[in-house]
Amino acid sequence: MTDERESMSPTKIGLGVLWPAFWTALPIKLAFVLVFLAMGIMQFEGRIGLAFLMLLASPVTIFALPTISMGLESHIGEGVGIALLFLISIPIDIWALGVVGRTFFLEKFRKEPPDGLGLTLWWKSALVGAIFLPILWFIVSTVTSTSISMAHSFFELEMFKGIPVAERISIELTIWGSIATAVLLLLLLIGVSLVGRMIRGTASGASPATDNYQGLIKRWDLMRVPADQGLMLAGVTGAGVVLSLLFWAALPVTTPHPHECCKQPEVKVQPPYKPLDALNKDEKMIVQLTAQLEAIEKRKAEEAEKNKGKGKAKDGHEAAPPAAKKP
Amino acid sequence: MQPKLKSRVRCTDREIGEVTKVVVDPLSHEISHIVVSMNGSGERQVAMGHVQAVTDGLVELRAPSSDIAALPPFKRDDYVTTHEVEIAHLEEKIHVTPGEVLVPLPELERSVKRRTFFMNFTHAIGFLIGLPIAYPILRYLMKPMYAPFDNGWLKIGNVGKIKQEDIGVQFKYKKKVKEAYLPEAEIEKNVWILKATPAVLEKVYQGKDMEFRDALGKPVWTNKKEIPYVAFSGKCPHLGCGYKWRQHKLLGQVFLCPCHLSIYDASGKVLDGPAPRPLDALPIRVSAAGEVEIIDMEFKAGTKSQIRIV
Amino acid sequence: MEHSSIPSTQPTAIEKVIAFIDERVGLKQMQAKMLNEPVPGGSRWAYVFGSVLLFIFIMQALTGILLMFYYVPTADHAYASTQYIIHEVDYGWFLLSYHFWGSTAMVVCVFAHMSQVFLWGAYKKPREMIWLVGLALFGIVMGFGFTGYLLPWDQRAYWATTVGVEIMDKTPVLGDFMARFLKGGATPGQMTLSRFFVIHVMILPAALMGLAGLHLFLFRAAGPAGPFRGTPEEIKAKTDYFFPRQIWKDIVGMAVVFASICALAFWEPVVLLEEATPDPGDYHPEPEWYFLFLFQLLRLKIFAGEFGQFLGAIALPGAFMALLAALPFIDKDPERNIFKRPIALIGWIVVMVAILLFTVSAIINREFLD
Repeated sequence: MTDERESMSPTKIGLGVLWPAFWTALPIKLAFVLVFLAMGIMQFEGRIGLAFLMLLASPVTIFALPTISMGLESHIGEGVGIALLFLISIPIDIWALGVVGRTFFLEKFRKEPPDGLGLTLWWKSALVGAIFLPILWFIVSTVTSTSISMAHSFFELEMFKGIPVAERISIELTIWGSIATAVLLLLLLIGVSLVGRMIRGTASGASPATDNYQGLIKRWDLMRVPADQGLMLAGVTGAGVVLSLLFWAALPVTTPHPHECCKQPEVKVQPPYKPLDALNKDEKMIVQLTAQLEAIEKRKAEEAEKNKGKGKAKDGHEAAPPAAKKP
Repeated sequence: MQPKLKSRVRCTDREIGEVTKVVVDPLSHEISHIVVSMNGSGERQVAMGHVQAVTDGLVELRAPSSDIAALPPFKRDDYVTTHEVEIAHLEEKIHVTPGEVLVPLPELERSVKRRTFFMNFTHAIGFLIGLPIAYPILRYLMKPMYAPFDNGWLKIGNVGKIKQEDIGVQFKYKKKVKEAYLPEAEIEKNVWILKATPAVLEKVYQGKDMEFRDALGKPVWTNKKEIPYVAFSGKCPHLGCGYKWRQHKLLGQVFLCPCHLSIYDASGKVLDGPAPRPLDALPIRVSAAGEVEIIDMEFKAGTKSQIRIV
Repeated sequence: MEHSSIPSTQPTAIEKVIAFIDERVGLKQMQAKMLNEPVPGGSRWAYVFGSVLLFIFIMQALTGILLMFYYVPTADHAYASTQYIIHEVDYGWFLLSYHFWGSTAMVVCVFAHMSQVFLWGAYKKPREMIWLVGLALFGIVMGFGFTGYLLPWDQRAYWATTVGVEIMDKTPVLGDFMARFLKGGATPGQMTLSRFFVIHVMILPAALMGLAGLHLFLFRAAGPAGPFRGTPEEIKAKTDYFFPRQIWKDIVGMAVVFASICALAFWEPVVLLEEATPDPGDYHPEPEWYFLFLFQLLRLKIFAGEFGQFLGAIALPGAFMALLAALPFIDKDPERNIFKRPIALIGWIVVMVAILLFTVSAIINREFLD
């Protein structure tokens, strides 16, 4: 066991720190994801799985993401919420890496964790990620598209033309899938090992921890119990209540994707009622109508003159012009 | 003190063995017998009456060893262990094992602060999982409970039907309802309309125009006290039954509800019976040609004040 | 259980109530027995899937009950009432989408839980019965997904069910009977909807609760298996109790799953297709995503024809399930370290990759259907 520890491979170190740190930070990030989704400030289309992975691995992806989005034209989603989410992830990740880092130092390295370990681990992994991830992204997408077209072209050959569709799909998928996965896994291992190397470098300067095994376990276990429980619990509960209230306020009451059959009628926004304008309009209308009335009466009088000669005047079913209904 | 398992057993003359088993009465939860090993020559069951004294590690009997040996041999098959039978709270009364059997807490569990912290944190997280969905669930369930009112005018007939004043005339009409996802259906309703003389009209309006408001307090309609036509909701304010216009032996022509015999006069005032308030008047308007329109409203039954529910 | 650092002189009202019950029922001892279960090697995140599955089931039951406030299982109103929930009832779209994505989460977690148990070798002696009951529970979860899918009565629901029941029809001897039983006749209609509804909301929940209780009981009787490697010293040093640490990890797992399901509900709220008609028209029938791999498998030429269909739809899956059931009795080697069980490891990888492969193939195949 001791030997294994001294010569722990950088890949094991990298994995042993990154994997728990990702998952430690995730529950807190998810709370914000929910609120942002409810508020509608971020949307994901097909690439939600990828977006999830990017968020999960945020210590490593945070600075790589802008490069990938802009330089390589690969967008994971839309909305200002995404940037906000990654921003909020920074303190969360620093905390998570701190907890996991200290645990790892005590149990696996058997060394005293240095102060500010979380921050150190964070900016170092972010740096590795910023450089390595875009390279990985580029290589993997190139390899994938090349192997897809290569697999396609296999089936253009005469001897494979007869193979039916379902079989062809699966065989193609196996071919390019295994190539792309192999390349991806290899590159990921290299990346993780780089991070591991970096962590090992940080550990080399640390002093050894003197406790026995049980003592070390107890230390990192009790490290998770906060000094002021009441404050921490009140804080977490309070933050949760605030986020829930935001969630309630933001959650759309009716579906954001309505079906053709049941689209809500467009609520026409009532034009704002401007009293002065209305008065002026009404005044103008009254003047107009009065003029019309006078004109009609004049005409009637003229006609009456004419009809006097013809005989009985018609009974005035000519009612006054219909009263304009006031708005 | 109760005899302990493995205690030595001594008769008046000599030691005869140790306590191998203890027999408990299942009803009284008291120890009834001890079983003595007799140093290998066949266990004997000894009633507690024979026990003189019990000290730590020793049970003294008041009979000689020959008496004890003369007892019939112990029949194990007539008994079951306390693990094989359900006797509640037995452990609280019977303490016959020498000492307790203890299990150490794991090292990590020895911190009380740790235990309480994780217990409380678990409760907090549990609460925070439930909280976001509590409000949506409440609104979801309450959706149909406070549906907004329909203040549409319904044509229900012509006042030509009314031949006499101060006589109640029933107008039956059909109302279209659309309930949730069901296709539109028609329900039959009725109102009672009377052409009131000024005296009766005065009793109905009591000098004030009748205002009807919507849920937000905005006026929907006002029944002017000069209009002689009054429409009463077809539901009795007592418990919602449909009432009739009848000739009463003593009170003359009245509205009479067959369910609990509430009686109202032509102005809707309660003359007799359990009705808590007068008949509910509805918004009514009559066109020049005599076409009657009402706004269909329903009010909570059985209350003194008029509370609109439909 | 209530550890207060300074004992209060006057018991609070709650403490009095607890003491009242405890005197009569032995509450404190019962609670201690339930909660103070030592987990050798310590509580682990890998162990949360069982509790998470219980949580998902409870949430499905809750959202399902809420849906039943407005849904009606009749052929004339099933579609309309579902659309009513989505478009009219406050937050109905959210609760229905939660229920829908919750079923996906359940299947994913069932696969995760079964994989974790398999990889940790926790099906071996003395845990064979837990494994068998677990397989029955797996079948019930699949049954939930299949029966629930029909209820909205839109084209997707109706045709996925039609195809699924037709496949079941291919079972030898019992197939026709089973298919007619499920359909309530020769063709799908109102009888089918009623049967699927009662199976989905009454029969399967009762079966699941009973079997889950049995599953838990057997698990407690055998005790947690613990990690498959580590010296006794290491395992002892890390051992803690089920309460509070494992429960705490369980609840964080539940919170993550809850948040994920909600996020999915936002991303893709349930949208129905047109109402079910006997003529599929342009619609291409497809089952739920977790049946897609079987669906795609049946498109391969080797499974064409009557015997081929039987082979692909019944014989092969049936043989695989039989293999899983026989697993604890075939694999008697007490070794639990997955890295020392190459056949098991490779077998698991092959199965997972094959399922993934055929699921993705089915999705790609959609483009070739017109």
